[in-house]
Order: sequence, then C-alpha cells, then structure tokens
Amino acid sequence: MARQKIEVDIEPLTRIEGHLGIHAEADMDQKKYVDAYCYSTMFRGIEVILKDREPADAIWLTQRVCGVCPTPHGTAAALAVDMCYHAPPPPFAVAMRNMIEISEEAYDGALGCGILEGPDYSELIMSRLNPDIMAQANRTKSSRIDYHGYETIGDIMRGLNPITGSLWRKCLNGSKKGIEMASLMGGKHPHVQTLLPGGVAKTTNVKDLETFYALTARWIAFTKELVCVFDDLLDFCSVAGLDKTGVTPPNLLSHGMYDDPFAYDAKYDHMSAWGEKRAITPGIVLNGKLITTDLVEIQVGTNEFVAHSYYEETPAAEIECDPLGNKLSKDHPWNEESQAKPGKEKDWQNKYSWAKSPRWQDWKRRVDGQTHVLEAGPLARMWVAALARVVPEATGTSFKFTLPAGAVDGFRVPQELALEWKIPKTINALERIRARAYFHAFSAYHAHRIFAQAMDLINKGQANTWTRYTKPEEGLGVGMTEAMRGALAHWCVMRNGKIHRYQIITPTAWNCGPRDQQGRPGPYENAIIGTPITENPSNGKLDGIDAVRTVRSFDPCVACCVGVYTPDGQIIADRDLEHIH
Amino acid sequence: MKPINLIWLHGQSCSGDTVSLIGASEPSLLDMLTGILPEVGDIRLAFHPTIMASWGERALRVLDDAREGKLDPFLLIVEGSIPDEEQAARQGGLFCAVGDRAGKLVTANELLLELKDRAAATIAIGTCASFGGIVAGKPNPTGAKGLMDFLGKDYRSALGLPVINVSGCPASGDNYIKALAYIALMVRGVITVPPELDLHNRLKFLHGELAHHICPRGGYFAVGKYSYRFGDPYCMVWLGCKGPISYCQVPRDKFAGHLGGCTTVGSPCIGCTEPGFPDEPFSPFFEMAPAESLATGVTPGSPHFIKECATAQEHLFHLISRRI
Repeated sequence: MARQKIEVDIEPLTRIEGHLGIHAEADMDQKKYVDAYCYSTMFRGIEVILKDREPADAIWLTQRVCGVCPTPHGTAAALAVDMCYHAPPPPFAVAMRNMIEISEEAYDGALGCGILEGPDYSELIMSRLNPDIMAQANRTKSSRIDYHGYETIGDIMRGLNPITGSLWRKCLNGSKKGIEMASLMGGKHPHVQTLLPGGVAKTTNVKDLETFYALTARWIAFTKELVCVFDDLLDFCSVAGLDKTGVTPPNLLSHGMYDDPFAYDAKYDHMSAWGEKRAITPGIVLNGKLITTDLVEIQVGTNEFVAHSYYEETPAAEIECDPLGNKLSKDHPWNEESQAKPGKEKDWQNKYSWAKSPRWQDWKRRVDGQTHVLEAGPLARMWVAALARVVPEATGTSFKFTLPAGAVDGFRVPQELALEWKIPKTINALERIRARAYFHAFSAYHAHRIFAQAMDLINKGQANTWTRYTKPEEGLGVGMTEAMRGALAHWCVMRNGKIHRYQIITPTAWNCGPRDQQGRPGPYENAIIGTPITENPSNGKLDGIDAVRTVRSFDPCVACCVGVYTPDGQIIADRDLEHIH
Repeated sequence: MKPINLIWLHGQSCSGDTVSLIGASEPSLLDMLTGILPEVGDIRLAFHPTIMASWGERALRVLDDAREGKLDPFLLIVEGSIPDEEQAARQGGLFCAVGDRAGKLVTANELLLELKDRAAATIAIGTCASFGGIVAGKPNPTGAKGLMDFLGKDYRSALGLPVINVSGCPASGDNYIKALAYIALMVRGVITVPPELDLHNRLKFLHGELAHHICPRGGYFAVGKYSYRFGDPYCMVWLGCKGPISYCQVPRDKFAGHLGGCTTVGSPCIGCTEPGFPDEPFSPFFEMAPAESLATGVTPGSPHFIKECATAQEHLFHLISRRI
C-alpha cells in the first residue's frame, strides 16, 4: 500500500520578519515530516546601492536591511568600517556601543518570545490544532506561579493570545521599553543614528546614563517574569510531546558580543585577542565539542556556497590571503561575486532559493578539515560561551548569573534571582525559545554592569566618545557580532576611499540556507525533517503548525523580500547581490 | 459602532516602521488596539504579516474579505516602497509577492489596486512608502517608488483623501500613531476637517518645521558655537548635519518614549524624512550640505522651502566666511 503523504506549502509565513516559503512533505503513516525545503524568494539591492558610496555611510544604510534587528547591523558595519579606516574608538565609546546594542536585546527578546513565537503555543492556536494538549494544560498547575502569577499552563497559553492576552501585552510593553532604551542611546530606534567610525556620535551626558540605569531596572524586573513563565510553559510542552519538534544536531556558531572597552582596538591582527575578551565568548561547536574561540579562525573559514542558490559560482579569489597571511577561498565574503543566475521556481534538484548556503570550513583541521553546516542563535551563543569557560558565568555545562534586586511597580519579583541556563540534552524548537528568554535575562544582567563600567570611566575622566582618524584610501574590514537571532558579520573592501565590495552574512542565512553542493540541508530544512505531526489533517490538508513552530523557533528575519517570478515559474533578477536577513 | 480595521501591507520594506510603532505613546499601539479612545472605539489589526496569529491561506483570506467590503471601514496602511512591476513584466517576472493565492503569487501592487478605492484612507508609513527611500536609492534597481507616485496624484480614498505620507526612516511611532488617530477620528466623524498637508502630502502638524529650527542645539547655531568633533554639544552643521534641509520633529519631540532624538543626543541629521534620501545632497552623511543644494533644495517649486533654505544658506555662507 502506498504511503499516505501530504504536501504542505506555506506562504506567507507570518510572524517572522520578511518573506519565507516552506515546502514540506508529511508522511501520515509515520506521522512525521520526511522532507523539507525552505526558500527565500527575494531580491534586494542594498549592496548595489552601497557600491561606490562612502564606507562610513554603510553604518546607516545597512541597518535598513532590517527594521527588526538594525542595531547589530549598525554595530557590525561600525566594526568593519573601524577596521577599514584604522579608527579605534576610545574605551567609553565601546561601552556606549555596548549600551546601544544591548538595548536592542531588551526589545528583540521580548518581541521574539512573546509576539512572534509565543502565539504558536497560545490558546488560540492550541485549542484549534492541539486540543488534547490544551485540555491537559488547563489541568496542569504552574510551578513558578509566585514569579509570574499564572495559575495553570492553560492560563499562560491564554496569556499568549495575540492582543487580548495579558502576557502578550506585557511582552509588547517590555519590547517598547527596549526601543526606548535604544532611542535614548542611539538617538532613535529602529535604525540608530549614533554609531560612527572611531566611536559614537553621542554627547556624554550623565543624565542619559541614569535614565538608561532606570530603564535597565525595569527590564530586569520584566525579564525575571519572562524567564519563569517561559520555563513553565516550555517544561510543560516538552512533557506534552512537543520535544521532538525541530530537532537539530549540536553544530553551532557564535561570533560573541559586547566588546571589552579596554581590549577592542579595531585591528585585524589583534582580533583573536579582543574577540576572546567579549562578554559572550565567540566560538564554534562541532558535534557538541568546542573547536575554537578564535574570531580570525571563524571568519577565515566562513564561505558561502551557491549550488542550490540562484547565483553563478565566483570564478576566482581576488584577495588570496587575509592580512595575517591565512589563505582565503574564492567563496569567502571578501571575494564573493554573487552574480545572479535565475532559475526555475521550486526546482528542488537544482537551484531553488535566493539564500546561499554559508558553511564553515575547518581549515585548521581541528576535526576533519571539512566544511560544516552550523546553526546560529541565542542557544548557540550561550552554549559556546558555557563550554568555553572564559567568562565567569560559564561553568562548562551551564551559564549562571544573578539578576539584581529591585522593586518595580507592576512586577512580582523584587528580590535577587539566580538563573542558570543549562546546556540542553537535545536542541529543539522549545529549547531555542528558552535560550532566547535566558539571553534576554543575561543581557539585562550585563546592561546593569555596563552602566557601572561607563560611570566608572566618567569618574576617571575618560568620557571621550570619539577619536579623530585619517581615512586611508584602501582597506579591508570585517565586523562580527550577534543579532538576537544569531551570528552576523559584515565584510567591506574599500578601494579609492569608496566601497568596492560589501557582503553581509546574517544569522538567518546560516539557518535558512538551502542544500549545499554535498546535498546537506540547511538547519531549517534539517529541523523540519523528522518533526512529528501533532495536528490532525482536515480535508486531507495540514495547517503545518509543526513545521511552522520549527521555523519560527529560529526567529527568522528575511528582510526586504522581493521575489522575482515569471508566470511559468522562471525567476529573474538583476546582476545584483542579495542576502537573507 | 463597527470596528475600524487596519490592513497593513508590506511592499519592499524592512518592517522598521512596524517596530517603530511599538515605541508610540499617548496613545500607545496597545491603547489603540484595546480601544481606550471613547470616540474611536475598537480598532482591529485585521491583516499585519508580522503580528497576526494565522499564516498561509488563512491569512490571505482576510484580504479577500476586505476587498468584498466585509471589513469596512478599513484603513490601508503601506510600509515599504512599491516596485515597478511593468519593468519586472518586461523581464518576464514580478518583483514583490505578498503571498500565494490559490497557487498563484499575488503582488503588493495588485493588492493595492484591489483595495485602494474601498479604503477609508490610505496611509504611507515611512520614507520608502512615501518617496521610495533607500530602495529607490541610486541606481534604484527595481524602479521603486512611493505609494503616492504609484496611485497617482489624483487618487482619493473613500473619505476623499489623497495618500497621506508619514515619512521618516522610520518616523517615530508617535508620528505614526498621531496620523492614525487623526484619520480614525475622521472616520468616526469627530474631526470633519481634512488634515492640512504639505507639498509632499505629509501632515503639516508632523512635518511642518525644519529640524534645524526646532533643534535644541539651535541656540548654539544662533551664537555661532559649532561642534568640530563628534560628541561636542554644539550645532553640528560642520559635521554634516542635514537639519537645515529636513522637515522633521525628532530633535524636539525625540523618539520612543520621548527619549533620544538624533541631533538632540549628538548625531547629525541624515535627512531620512525627505524625498531624495539617501542620495545627494543627503549623502555622504558627514559631508556638509552644499550651499547650492540648499538653494535648489530637495523640493523644487516649494516657495516655503526655498525661503527656509535661503535663510539657512545665508547662515552657511556666514559660517564659511568665518572659517576662511
């Protein structure tokens, strides 16, 4: 008897940034997804628009790649342009940049958990697609009720109903506070205004720092509840049978973030050293083991492949070595050509996505010298940092920190709260969301420390926010940081004082890329394959909730989506470069 | 009282205007959705890809309902620029698909044309939707333009209004929400006077003043004190501030929660509210607004603008002669 298969096509996938399509095949006898393709059908001209402009302008322009995580783009661009211009910022400016970037985590973590991903576990969705789980949730008491006030898991799920739910609203308000913090330090948000080569364009003002401090206190009060409520919800969902959704192997990438004001000097030669001093240690984990924490090793091994993407192969390397003499592949972002090569729509055997397949090559042969599929995100970030044990919060198996006390009206936990994020046994959709909530909490804890650091610098009379520089004619720059949803980097090649080539690899590119030349699926595809079907088909169709939960757990951000289709399925574009955000 | 529905479409957008709306206060986004304004009543976010609970077919069905009049009255809100689909068609394709309707991709442009006449009002949110913005920056590979150019100068909504532009990249959430609230009060008949618009169809109560005139650093300009380094607390014309050629309230009203503000905190204005942004004379961002760009202006033909620019230019000549 032929197996009963259902094809699921989802477009638009809502509650993500941008435009992403999913094609998945469900085997109803095995009750699981057996095949999946994720494709981005978009065209973006940002790199074309950037060419021949002032490199510094990229700090403003590249933020417009994405209105959901603009600040990490601004930060990555500022780091890349610092390097191109030989313009190291003074320590106080680095602290300010950290404040600007960390404010975005306050907003983005709350948005991701509560508004974008949370509703997949809301009563609205659960009662329609997983009524059994909903009934069970209504009977299950919350174990952390004192910390968040929701008596049963069913109450939490009702709280997550969009617009009407109290938790949804609390997250929206929490998110708003983050936008306020970013506006305070960045002049405005989205698209902060104050990042600049050699520092920040911000007049030092103790009053602003105190406002930041007060807003951080509110953030801390909110995140205490957020972590507790998501712990309860996710623990329940895990036991209720959603723990097999979106499982991936522990091959992880993190660029690390929050530079040390006294270590960062914008020099490529010293990048390994200042990278190690980040508050979140960068690194790569292969098969659960930490391979490196060296930013140079990470960036040199980063390549993008186009076997299943609508691009021509880059013919040859223009830049053969990095400034330290390490050999670069022709597919390294300092070399990538990205000539578009249009192809048929949904041609799974050939090219089917505008996303490329970023892969990391183990060029120092720490394991096998091969290229690897890596997953990025808050889970990768904390996992890498926990294993690295460079920072005091890292234990080797967990990440531990204590949120300070503070009574904030309207919130339930005035006392200190010790939190420990433990490396999970399995990576799945639920653990990705949990990691997001914990990273939101860690960032609040760190924001509190940055404030103290900044005040200390002011007291020592080191409140200078910018160092004047002389711009050279030629330059190479790379800026590596983390957006909430994972590792982000910008690469800039400057010729005659203008942008010659600008490449961006975003976390969503790492995660949503199509199959590579060896046929290995990207993390989204891999996570859908094997995911059990928990909904019952109606009229022979599936809503696709399990595939949707899987993909949303990565917090996709697919900006400026401009697909170019022909009626017969041809996809056409200009010669332009394109990236997935 | 029937709820007012919001149909929020994304053209070539980055969702920054959606995020900015979260930062609005008095009323906040949530206030609008929960209905704190007695005369406005219920406002429903019927279609918004970033926020709505449903996905795929179920989500797109909302737009069919709107087209069939089941969601009247509704406001059509557009974020992101509108590409030139004719250019795409000549290449045999299309540029901006919003979703899959019965196996066929449907473009933002098609949906706009389907919904424009029934919409009580049509509001372009952000500089991309207003004027094309960064997507239309040189060399404008997709022929992107603003909604007003797409629907035509003569377009009128069901309330008899042209496209209303709320520019800014993004504008502050407060500006968006104030524009929405004004229109919602018009739908309810509380306000009967159409809003006063500038030459670019922007609301005068949001875009009636030059950033330079309302900047807290303006007093330093008046007494001739200038920032020569980033971080200095004075007027930033020498650092490339485009406040003298940009109509924006941010320096005074600041941003989310009335905090920050570009020039307020020390960052030169880059002109993100203006038609022509991000090309010359707005970029390179650190380059001083050239005197001739001030004279011709970014809005040729506007007597008000030219008058303002002449004043600014006079000051700049004064500055230049001092420097020499």
